Amino acid sequence: MPAIPRSARPATTVAGLLAAALLLAGCAGSGGNGEPSAAGDPASGGTLVYASGDAEPTCLDPHVGGNYPQALLAGQYLETLYTKDDDGRIIPWLASGAEASADGKTWTLKLRDGITFTDGTAFDAATVKANIEHLQDPDTASSTGYLAVAKIKTMDVVDDTTLKLNLSAPDSALLESFSMPWVAMESAKALARSQAENCASPVGTGPFTVKKWTKQDSVELVRNEDYTPPVKGAGHDGPAYLEGITWKFIPEAATRYAALQSGTVDIIDNAQPDTIKSAEGSDNIGHLDAPRPGASNRIELNSSKAPFDDEKVREAFVRAVNVDDGISSLFFDTAKRSYSALSSVEPMGYSDPSLFGRDLQEANRLLDAAGWDQRDAAGYRTKDGKRLTLSFPVSTNQSVPAEQSLFQQLQATAKEAGFEVKLHLLDLSSWYGVLGENDYDLVSAPYTKVGPDVLRTLFHTSNTVPAPSGYFSNHAQVKDKKLDALLESANATTDQQERKDKYTQAQQIVLGGYYILPLYDQQNHFLYGPKVQGVGATTAVASPTFHDTWLQD
Amino acid sequence: MGNASTRRAGTLRRRPRAGWLRAGNVLPAVAALTALFLVLAALVPGWLAPADPLAIDPVAAFRGPSGAHWLGTDESGRDIYSRIVHGARPSLLIGAAATALGLGLALLLGLAAGLGGRWLDAGVGRIVEVLLALPGLLLALVFIALAGPGVATTIVAVGLSTAPGYARIIRTQVRALRTSPMIEAARVLGHSPARILARHLLPNALGPVLVLATLGIGQAVVWASALSFLGLGEAPPAPEWGAMLAAGRTYLGFAWWMTFFPGLAIVATAASSTVLGRSLQRRAVGA
Repeated sequence: MPAIPRSARPATTVAGLLAAALLLAGCAGSGGNGEPSAAGDPASGGTLVYASGDAEPTCLDPHVGGNYPQALLAGQYLETLYTKDDDGRIIPWLASGAEASADGKTWTLKLRDGITFTDGTAFDAATVKANIEHLQDPDTASSTGYLAVAKIKTMDVVDDTTLKLNLSAPDSALLESFSMPWVAMESAKALARSQAENCASPVGTGPFTVKKWTKQDSVELVRNEDYTPPVKGAGHDGPAYLEGITWKFIPEAATRYAALQSGTVDIIDNAQPDTIKSAEGSDNIGHLDAPRPGASNRIELNSSKAPFDDEKVREAFVRAVNVDDGISSLFFDTAKRSYSALSSVEPMGYSDPSLFGRDLQEANRLLDAAGWDQRDAAGYRTKDGKRLTLSFPVSTNQSVPAEQSLFQQLQATAKEAGFEVKLHLLDLSSWYGVLGENDYDLVSAPYTKVGPDVLRTLFHTSNTVPAPSGYFSNHAQVKDKKLDALLESANATTDQQERKDKYTQAQQIVLGGYYILPLYDQQNHFLYGPKVQGVGATTAVASPTFHDTWLQD
Repeated sequence: MGNASTRRAGTLRRRPRAGWLRAGNVLPAVAALTALFLVLAALVPGWLAPADPLAIDPVAAFRGPSGAHWLGTDESGRDIYSRIVHGARPSLLIGAAATALGLGLALLLGLAAGLGGRWLDAGVGRIVEVLLALPGLLLALVFIALAGPGVATTIVAVGLSTAPGYARIIRTQVRALRTSPMIEAARVLGHSPARILARHLLPNALGPVLVLATLGIGQAVVWASALSFLGLGEAPPAPEWGAMLAAGRTYLGFAWWMTFFPGLAIVATAASSTVLGRSLQRRAVGA
């Protein structure tokens, strides 16, 4: 049988692999969940062809910028200090442990010994220091990693395997941050090269290495022959089964699925809801459902300017739109409605469905009360002769067609209350441009981060200020002192119960203030062909890793 | 393309002419009916399709053709027949306006080249050649990338990219006419250059081009649909054929009607304009 049962199941991480390995030792034969069982032991060799629907990264070093497509790729050749186990616990990976001082402002990070980068340099405390400095260097233009290590002020190399981190303030999310691919460890020697060089061929400790990147086409990854997982039992010992991975970019969803069906590619991401549905009834196609951690997929309401600077108008919008019918028809029941700012895989998520029930009457009442009490000839509400218009820029690179259709449905139902929603389909760089100019009222931006501290990223006043890359993450532009204080104290405490209480209160403010309209978890579905075995392991951000994957003849 | 059909007009003319009810006449008749339907759809869509093309009904999404929805519904439960009928206006508007714009521009360029001196002719000729060297759709894409998507930009983009072809034909016509006995006679009779231009040159030069323009409208509609397919047309949820085609292709596996019918509308428009244009051309040459 395969190491991981080939069925629709949540992401399995290190501990899951460990369990699967033990299972493998104990039993041989029976296939899981009635699916065809794989014959024989894992076979070495062959190249996995991966087809991604995401935008091709402009840099393969996830320190630079820091988005999900980069994480998907980097998870194959870079590794992190920490990772997440099956139960959502943060466990050491390249690190062997960490200890905080009583005031939480000094951390002593211990590293594993004997790990080497694929360029031959050793992994040690000085390397970790160089990596964090690289993230903090404005020239790197990091946004995700930069925010994750923002509290580290100085670092002291104590010895080869010990690094002291001096923080500007306590950070309960530090180890969660260390588990993300955007804070992955790279060879210091490689980082010292020019950014262009490092973007083309970053050097890590992972099971694969970057061999060649043909832009607008594919990335060739080859097996790291010297690899063995740093944690015993996390997958098999020794190098990956696959000789390599060809990472292609096929942005068109139907083409990508057709390529999988025809066997031209072995695995695809960003699978469309209708194809997931039809794959579920198929013996030939496997499905990995790995909801991303961090934020839920939500629409943010820009509270920095009219009309959404008025909470009544925000609530009216949320009450006016019909989300549920659209989700069930467009997503074919593969996505579940969310009422939370956080992903369902986040243990500290807080959910309140009562705030989001559709109520057109209430929406109309709220708009009347907010002074939008006139209607023009087209049926849209007006105030002082100005129409109630909402600009909604949509990044076509960051949303699947079903989601774009859902936005059109929200547009149609918002109209019933008198909102004019203008959808603008934009490519990623134009979309960033519009956000930078504060030229939006509604926006939907995925944000993946490990742990509830993503709330600070998305809703703290300081994150209305752009990072060095020009990106800011508080799109709702929430500026609430009480919320800031809660997010800061939750980030400072190491007491898990206190942390949870603070984050719950913080989420109550965000949901109750109608700054966001939660939709569903960040959908992360992978479909793979009949040859592919041993899919299931993921990084802490739910991107699959292929050390344990093999191809069956 | 227009040029190709000019060249083939000679062979078409030699086809034997006979009774009214021949294949050669049925096709133009069907084309004329299609065109009539499209024009009606563009002018008074509400008569042909009373249903609101923007009204959503998520519960009735992805329904196949039926009595309630003749051509089925899309992913948001909108009526596809209604969207196609209402989509005729932007499509035809873009087609006609872009062709008119292209012709207007071509007229200026063609007359300048045809009537001007050798240097002007050479200058305009080079500009036209450079523009012709770039594929029309690419030219349109570049323009939209610079000016931003929308109906007006699409019109200008498609118009700009069709102008060079027309300009060439007009120039050749003007050149040929300029030395024709008819113009010489007018000149000898002492008619003013303006009168010669208006009474003799323009009508004779424009005739063939107007016939070509009928063919061009079909071409322009196809281009406008291509741009809207790429997401460069009107903003959603406007019922544009190209955008409908693009939305449907995601669901091609199980909801064929979402792509088939908008595609059919585009084909029908292009085909009817081509057939009508050809038949006009035949008549013009035969007369």
